[in-house]
Amino acid sequence: MAEISKTSVKSKGYLGALALIGVLLGLYWGLLHAPPDAYQGEVQRIMYLHIPSILTAYLSFFLVFVGSCLYLWKREKRDDILAYSAAEIGALFTALTIVEGSIWGKPTWGVWWTWDARLTLTAILLLIFAGYLMLRSLTDDENRAASAAAVLGIIGFLDIPLIHMSVYWWRTLHQPPSILRPDKAPWDNVHPAMLTALAINFVGFVLLYFYLLSRRFRLGEINEEIKARLLNRNN
Amino acid sequence: MHLTVRHLAKAYGLRWALKDIGFDLPAGEVVALLGPNGAGKTTLLKLLAGLLSPTAGEIVFDGSNFGRSLTAQRSAIGFLTPGEHLYENLTVRENLIFFISLYNKGGAIAQIDATLDEVGLKHHSEEYVAALSSGMKCRLSIAKWKLLEPALLLLDEPYGVLDGNGVDLLESFLRGRRHEGSIVIIASHHVARVVNLCTRALILHQGSLTFDEARQQPWEGFTRAFGEFLPHGES
Amino acid sequence: MNLLSQTFLLLKKDLVIELRRRESLLTMFFFGTLLLFVFHFSFDLVPERVAEMTPALLWLAFLFTGTLGLAQLFEAERGNHCLEALLLSPMDRGALFLAKTAFNFILMFLVEIVVIPLFWILFNLRSWDVIPYLFLVTLLGTVGFCVLGTLLSVVTLKARARELLLPLILFPLMIPVILGTIRCMETILRVGELGDALPWLRLLIGFDVIFLTVGVLIFDWVIEV
Repeated sequence: MAEISKTSVKSKGYLGALALIGVLLGLYWGLLHAPPDAYQGEVQRIMYLHIPSILTAYLSFFLVFVGSCLYLWKREKRDDILAYSAAEIGALFTALTIVEGSIWGKPTWGVWWTWDARLTLTAILLLIFAGYLMLRSLTDDENRAASAAAVLGIIGFLDIPLIHMSVYWWRTLHQPPSILRPDKAPWDNVHPAMLTALAINFVGFVLLYFYLLSRRFRLGEINEEIKARLLNRNN
Repeated sequence: MHLTVRHLAKAYGLRWALKDIGFDLPAGEVVALLGPNGAGKTTLLKLLAGLLSPTAGEIVFDGSNFGRSLTAQRSAIGFLTPGEHLYENLTVRENLIFFISLYNKGGAIAQIDATLDEVGLKHHSEEYVAALSSGMKCRLSIAKWKLLEPALLLLDEPYGVLDGNGVDLLESFLRGRRHEGSIVIIASHHVARVVNLCTRALILHQGSLTFDEARQQPWEGFTRAFGEFLPHGES
Repeated sequence: MNLLSQTFLLLKKDLVIELRRRESLLTMFFFGTLLLFVFHFSFDLVPERVAEMTPALLWLAFLFTGTLGLAQLFEAERGNHCLEALLLSPMDRGALFLAKTAFNFILMFLVEIVVIPLFWILFNLRSWDVIPYLFLVTLLGTVGFCVLGTLLSVVTLKARARELLLPLILFPLMIPVILGTIRCMETILRVGELGDALPWLRLLIGFDVIFLTVGVLIFDWVIEV
């Protein structure tokens, strides 16, 4: 496996810098520049973090799916590294989403948690990520762990739309939305500054996600490199 | 009918079980696979049976590579480990019928009784395998592979559980396979018997192939190579 | 030998062994019945509340009973490394998947066919005429459970803490099935027919078809010695 090339280090550096700029800009726009929400007041600002983080969580699962498919097909270690790196960072962002949602929920609804569709789905996503990571860590043989996790990654991804449908139907058929939903489509009657804030934060978060992913991926590669060298030394 | 192995290697985690194994076997070859405990004999047999996938190298059987889907080639491969691969809760006859059907050799069902007679299990055909002694289970395995007629037969320590008659039975069976043009590979610690039976000897030591010669009379090379493994005080 | 006949061969073998050993079926049956008693004590099921809780309680019972079955799914192959023997053979891997799924399905079916009427008797329910529809929905849910359960059972075969890990990764993925069957059963109990629970039925069928197909296609890569 190749050593880290200078360009690779540099490009990660650029990515990190861009991510930092994006997040900072987003924070400024979201916290200071955009006006407070007409109904929810200042607490609505957390949506600028909440929405991007859930979107990156789903992006993550897609990458887990891609990595899993490629791994089962080609059996190349890098695809496996991609899959579990995406799972780890994805789990992190999902947990973040839930915490943010909870922080928003307390002043808005008066409770830390409620079983509305969105929160429930996010919790389920976290459970699936957690199951994936547990399966990996509880399987001793590495190759077996990789293919086991890949199967779970594929099944999980295919199941998510079905889980989505079932949870939404369950919630909307029985419980008409009586409370302000956290993701009221942002483009109706919304102040343009809020939209801009959302957009900037979204870009910032995605950049941050990919930065973290690339670092985690590199860590995985280094791990494999070490193992390969130890193996060859035992020759 | 040809078995070629090139640069075959298998690693478990950080340890090489087999390194750079290569040999060439024509039809009708009976190979004695020898070596101390932990040399990698069972690993090699499992690789040849398609039960493990190699870390490196290739296996070419009858012109085609052991690819990922070697389903077609599997019907020609037999693996005999005493006591294994038999269903305890099925009778002797049921086991044979099951495996014959599984291997798509339906015509052999008519020969079950005759074969059981040959291996001395005629009166046990309706007994559960769980009730058989280990020697009898081994005879049942012999009956099984007699009926399935594999072109490549791999045996892992078959001598241990067999009595005098059983040994004669095994050896006449193997001679019969050789006559049919099969390739037979026997891993065993019962050196004297196996060497007597074989047409070629391979010695494994710590994962490497240290000796590969066709049988000769007298066989000084073998005595020299093998002498290293005998306990001190033996000739 | 094609996929279907291989599947039957393997299934027959499992059924014959199960008939002789009776390990799985009896334990599953008693466990399912035991749960009904536990529910009675835990939930204080007075007649008014039983009707609305019936679908959930039934499905809880089947989920846990089914998990018991999954834990023992490859029991026949454990002795003498018989799984190795199957993988050594020219058997289509998909046949093993279908056979094991079918085997667990048959066990659960037999348990359900006893537990449902038993539930009606124990909790004095009146609506006996809806049982066939209820049963149909249960079967669809059971198929989904067995399909995913078999796939994940294989994937966790060599994992540590397997008995805990399997439900942990299986249950979140089962949510569409759980919601689907319970909604359908609720509607059937309430109005006597499916009515507006029809979309849920379609979801169940879709789930079963998707994962049955995925299972057959993917099983080759799933199972290794």
